[in-house]
Amino acid sequence: MTGRMKALLAAPSPGPGPGIAPYITAGDGGLERTLAVLHGLERGGAVCVELGLPFSDPLADGPALQAAAQRSLEAGTTPDATLEVIRSYRDQGGKLPILLFSYSNPLWVGLGGLRASAERLAEAGGDGFVVPDLPPEEADELCAACDELDLGTVFFATPRSSIERIRSAARASSGFLYAIGRVGVTGLRTSFDDEVLDWLDFVRELAGNTPLAVGFGVAEPADIRALAGHTDLAICGTALVNHLHNTAGTPEDAAASAQALVTRLSQATRD
Amino acid sequence: MSTFQLDSHYGRFGGCYAPETLMPALIELEAAFVEARAEPEFRERLRRLLRDFGGRPTPLFHAERLGAEWGLDLWLKREDLLHTGAHKLNNALGQALLAQRMGKTRILAETGAGQHGVACATVCALLGLDCVVYMGEMDAQRQVPNVERMELLGARVVIVRAGQRTLKDAINEALRAWVGDPDAHYLLGSALGPHPFPTIVAFFHEPIGKEAAAQYREQAQTDQPDLVLACVGGGSNAIGLFRGFMDNPEVALVGVEAGGTGSAPGEHAARWAGGREGVLHGCKTLVLCDDDGQILATHSVSAGLDYPAVGPEHAQLAEQGRARYLSASDDEALAGFAALARFEGILPALESSHALGWLLARREDWRGMSVLLGLSGRGDKDLATVLPLLGGTR
Repeated sequence: MTGRMKALLAAPSPGPGPGIAPYITAGDGGLERTLAVLHGLERGGAVCVELGLPFSDPLADGPALQAAAQRSLEAGTTPDATLEVIRSYRDQGGKLPILLFSYSNPLWVGLGGLRASAERLAEAGGDGFVVPDLPPEEADELCAACDELDLGTVFFATPRSSIERIRSAARASSGFLYAIGRVGVTGLRTSFDDEVLDWLDFVRELAGNTPLAVGFGVAEPADIRALAGHTDLAICGTALVNHLHNTAGTPEDAAASAQALVTRLSQATRD
Repeated sequence: MSTFQLDSHYGRFGGCYAPETLMPALIELEAAFVEARAEPEFRERLRRLLRDFGGRPTPLFHAERLGAEWGLDLWLKREDLLHTGAHKLNNALGQALLAQRMGKTRILAETGAGQHGVACATVCALLGLDCVVYMGEMDAQRQVPNVERMELLGARVVIVRAGQRTLKDAINEALRAWVGDPDAHYLLGSALGPHPFPTIVAFFHEPIGKEAAAQYREQAQTDQPDLVLACVGGGSNAIGLFRGFMDNPEVALVGVEAGGTGSAPGEHAARWAGGREGVLHGCKTLVLCDDDGQILATHSVSAGLDYPAVGPEHAQLAEQGRARYLSASDDEALAGFAALARFEGILPALESSHALGWLLARREDWRGMSVLLGLSGRGDKDLATVLPLLGGTR
């Protein structure tokens, strides 16, 4: 594990609530904007970032993230250029752990295979992978490469996953376990009611020492307050991607806007 | 980790590259399939429905006039005569019975040419299940009669406007819908997708090849044909037909994919001509994508072959050298369509026309030999496409 990931996993949140882990689609609005936004997220108090590598057929994503990937591809974003953004962010002193969020095919074809992808991500200054269409059953090669290269892996748990699957996913996750609080694709709201929170507590127990992140439907400070005490990290994707898409102006304007949104979320449990 | 009971891979192809949101449903499906397959009552119910409702066994027809014209001995496995006009019913019926056995109340399906959608709508009417069919806008426009048929049969047709607006986008949408709908079974229409779909779909299409092999022995009075030929989109009719001959090394197997209008990206759906090893829709297989791994647009005159990946078992058969996969262009397919219509009085589906067109173009290579060709569907649905291209009195 990189030093950045180790530090994150040892202390996922600086405050009483969950650490804020934003998701953004690389190249949505151009890569210059993405680079600026990464710094904005850091200034806003994010604890790590999931950087989405755009894919033409993102089958776990709802309409908003599909559209973001499409905009990014139309702007000419490539896997190589996405890694370059990570490298530039590091060169400019960026400190946040960055997990590359990618579907399998761009890794297989675009970056030359799972092992080559891990080598290239490590070399660019990334910290781990989230691959939504790579369940633990198919992930041996990626896990071995990540282990060797000090990168983190992230697998998923859903309310329909069996106890055995959740345990295996947690074991396979050298980063954190990504819990999805409801069935469905990204972009729909999740109501973090008692039933969901009880399930999260149950998953957290099954996960043992593996930190827990909750994603899908985290959008508002109220969500963060509801999740406090039930998860280590909260992933905010669609709401942020939409927010940035609706922010006109320069890369710096987008960075300020991202910073403001993350600040709102990270301050939610400190008021 | 032994998540599945069956082998989920075909050599290095296949597997289960599915989001965790789908994994529990896939595991549940595999368990139900393994149980049902072993149950005599289930198999008997399926067999009876295939016979009494579907019309199995379908005939093996000796196409003597066309064979004489082409200088070979031509046999057609007539899946076009199966109820609803294509082989798709075999799988739709099998999976729908499986879904019912699992207590599911709704069937979700994708469709390209519309044949699978019609087959699903049909079996759902038969079994009293809700049916939602996802169809790309492009395909819906070129297959209007099938959209109308599905709606008449009580299905809801959801037009998909994302991406390229064809089959691959319809699959994306159907998979997304399945994730959020535990009461639904996703009735995938070809031998592709995440495990256990390739295994299940091939199993339900096995009667095509088993019947054909037995019928050929009886009618031709010879052990086996020299060549077994089928069109390959996802590859379900081909895998069903090949399964009857795979273990016989005397039989050459050829799958014909869509050569479209040219060899540049976006002009064809020929995975063996331009595909790379990758992952699409949950399985490792040959995929038409660019250097970055982005899925490419495809083209074929036939909606059912217009798909950028292929079933993983075909990828394995090609790698093992057991089957060869070649392509026929749009024009060759249309020539095949015209030939069968004029010489045998059969309008073939444009998908099946690719196998005919390939044989027509290479008939000299097979002169004097016996060829068994899978006629996967009938061509009535394609008239709107074919008429302006082939002309006529209008």
